[in-house]
Amino acid sequence: MSGSGFGLDARVGSTLPDAAAVARHDAAVFLLRARRDAAVAQVPDFEALRTRAAAIKDHTLDHLDRQLERFEAKARENGIVVHWAADARSLCEIVEALLRERSVRRVVKSKSMLTEECGLNPWLEARGFEVVDTDLGERIVQLEGEPPSHIIVPAIHRTRADVGALFHRHMGSPAGETDPERLMAHARADLRARFLAAEAGITGANFAVAETGSLVIVTNEGNADLGIILPPLHIACLGIEKLVPNLDDVAVFLRLLARSATGQPLSVYTSFLSAPRAGGELHVVLVDNGRSALLASESHRRALRCIRCGACLNTCPVYRRAGGHAYGVPVAGPIGAVLAPALVATREARELPYASSLCGSCTAVCPVRIDLHEQLLAWRREAPALPVSLRRGARFAAALLSRPRLFRAAARVARTLWPLFARRFPGNPASPWLRAREWPEHPGASFAERWRKTRGARP
Amino acid sequence: MSGREGVLVAVRRATRHGVAHPGPHPAPPLAADFASFAATLAAVGGEAHGPLARASLADAVLAHARRWAAGGRIVAEPSAAALLGTAAVEIARDAAAPHSFADVAVAIAKGSVGIAENGAVAVTADDAPHRALLFLAERVILLLDAASIVGDLHSAMRALPAAAWQSQLTFVSGPSKTADIEQTLVHGAHGPRALAVFVHQS
Repeated sequence: MSGSGFGLDARVGSTLPDAAAVARHDAAVFLLRARRDAAVAQVPDFEALRTRAAAIKDHTLDHLDRQLERFEAKARENGIVVHWAADARSLCEIVEALLRERSVRRVVKSKSMLTEECGLNPWLEARGFEVVDTDLGERIVQLEGEPPSHIIVPAIHRTRADVGALFHRHMGSPAGETDPERLMAHARADLRARFLAAEAGITGANFAVAETGSLVIVTNEGNADLGIILPPLHIACLGIEKLVPNLDDVAVFLRLLARSATGQPLSVYTSFLSAPRAGGELHVVLVDNGRSALLASESHRRALRCIRCGACLNTCPVYRRAGGHAYGVPVAGPIGAVLAPALVATREARELPYASSLCGSCTAVCPVRIDLHEQLLAWRREAPALPVSLRRGARFAAALLSRPRLFRAAARVARTLWPLFARRFPGNPASPWLRAREWPEHPGASFAERWRKTRGARP
Repeated sequence: MSGREGVLVAVRRATRHGVAHPGPHPAPPLAADFASFAATLAAVGGEAHGPLARASLADAVLAHARRWAAGGRIVAEPSAAALLGTAAVEIARDAAAPHSFADVAVAIAKGSVGIAENGAVAVTADDAPHRALLFLAERVILLLDAASIVGDLHSAMRALPAAAWQSQLTFVSGPSKTADIEQTLVHGAHGPRALAVFVHQS
C-alpha cells in the first residue's frame, strides 16, 4: 500500500514498526475472528438473529425520535436525569458542569468509544480533573499516551514486554516482568485504590431500552460496575443510536454481541441499570454529534445499526496489517472508515473508504448485517477524496485500457520486465509490497494468448 | 433551542415512521438442563456444583466458602443467608456502605435465573441489594434453584420479575476476566477471581 499517497500509509509504521510486529498483530486479531466462528457454530439460530437484529435496528432508527422520548420519560420516572448534547463540545460541557457542581476531582471511567470520539478525557484533564481509564487495555493506552487501536481490545498492538516496561514505570512492578497474570495483579491493586477513592464514575452504555428506561452496560472485567457502584455520582454517555425498543429486542443483540466480538457466549457482566443506586445519582447524556445527519442519509443510515462488536475489524485484511492507529480516527477498521467521513469529516477521514479491497469479509460477519463494503463504495462516489498520485494512476490506466492495441503492446513489455522486480532494490516501486510477500511467477503468456491457444486446439 | 429540542428536531426530520417492527425472536431449541448449564459455565471459567438436595446445600456451600476464604471475611446477602438457614456467616447489613466490602474474601448471594446457553446467572437487586459485594469480593458463590435454569437469554428475560427492570440487575457469566495483554486470558481483572454456582433442588 506504500507509495499510494494515503495518510493511512504514512501512519502504519507508527504502531507496527516492522514485519514481525505486523505478523503478530495480524495473528492476535485473527484469533478473535476464529473464536467468533467457533462460538457462532454453537448457536442454531445465529443467522436468524442477525436478520432480526438488522430489522429491529431499521425500525428503531426510523422511529428514533419516539424511542428517545419514550426512553427519556421512563428513565425520568425511575429517577434518572437525562441530558441532551447536540455535539461533542456540549457533551464535554455537560459532564464538566456535573462534576464541578459536586466538587468532584477524581473520576474513574470505563470504556466508551463515544467519549473517545468527543475528546472527553483531554477536555476534563485540561481542566484539572483526574480521569482514570479502568479497562485494563484502556489503562495501558492511557499510560502510553496514545488512543485505543481496537474498539474491544484497545491495546492489542502492544506486546507483554511493552506492558511490563510501562507498569514498571507507572506502578512499580519489577523490571522485566512480562507475565500477564502478575502484570494484571499490579494493575488490579493500583486501580482498586483508585476505584475506592473515586468521586464519580463515567461510563458508556451498550444499549438503552426505551420500554423500561434501562441502560445496558457490558464488561468482562467488572470495571464499569465498580465505577457505578462505589462513587456517589454516575454519568453514562451514549450516542442516540444506542436505543432499543424493548427487552425482547435487547436479548437479540446481547446474544450476538459477545459472540461476534470475542467468541464468548455472553460478556462476564451484563448490567441493566434502571434507577440510581440508593443514595446515588445517575445522569444520562444522549449525544447526537453527527448521528442525525447520518440518519438523514438514505445510503448511510444503516451504519447506525452498529453495536460496536469489532467483528469487522478482526476479519479485515487491511485493519489486521495496518493496525488501528493507521486510521487516525477514534473507530478503526471497516465500520470506522464508514463512520469517519460523516462523524469526523476531515480530508483524511474521507480518504479512509479507499483503504479497502472491498473484499466484503466485514459484511459477511457483521451481526447487524451492515453492508459495509457497499457503504465504503458509496462514500467513494459521494465524497471523492482520491489522493493525487492515485488519481493520476487511475487516469493512466483508463487511457491504456481503452486502447486495446496499446494495452497489448504495453503488456508484452511488462511481461519481459516482470522478473526484474522480484527483488527489493532502491527505486523498485514494488519494494514495500515485497517486504512480506513473494513476487508471483508470471505464466509467460497473456490470458488472451492462452485462450486463443486452447480454443484453437479444439476440433 | 435547547440541546434536547435541537437533537429531537434533527432526528424527527430524518425519520418517517414507516418501517415495521419484526416482532419478538422465537426462543431457539436449546437444552435447559443442569448439565448443559454446568458445561457452559465451566467453559467460561466458572464452576457449577450440584444439583444438591436442599438439606445438604448449607454444608457444601460453607465448606467451599471457608476453603476459598482461608480465614478471610465471608459475607452473605440476606437472600442467601435465608436459603442456607445459618448464622455461621456474616450477613450484609442494610446500611453498609459499598466501600465497607473492600476486604471481603468470599461473597455469597442468591441468583434468580440460570441460562444454559451462556452459563450466566441473573442476580437481581432483591438477590443482592449490596451490589458492591458481587464485584469487590475476591471470590463469589451464587445459589441457584435447579428449576430456574432456562435454555436461552430470551427465556431468561421473560422469567425475571418486572421489578428486575426497575433497579439493578446483572447477568454474571463466570469470573471477572481480561485478555488485554497479548490475548492471554487472566481471571480476576477487577472483580472476583473465581465464581462457583451451587445449584439446589427446589
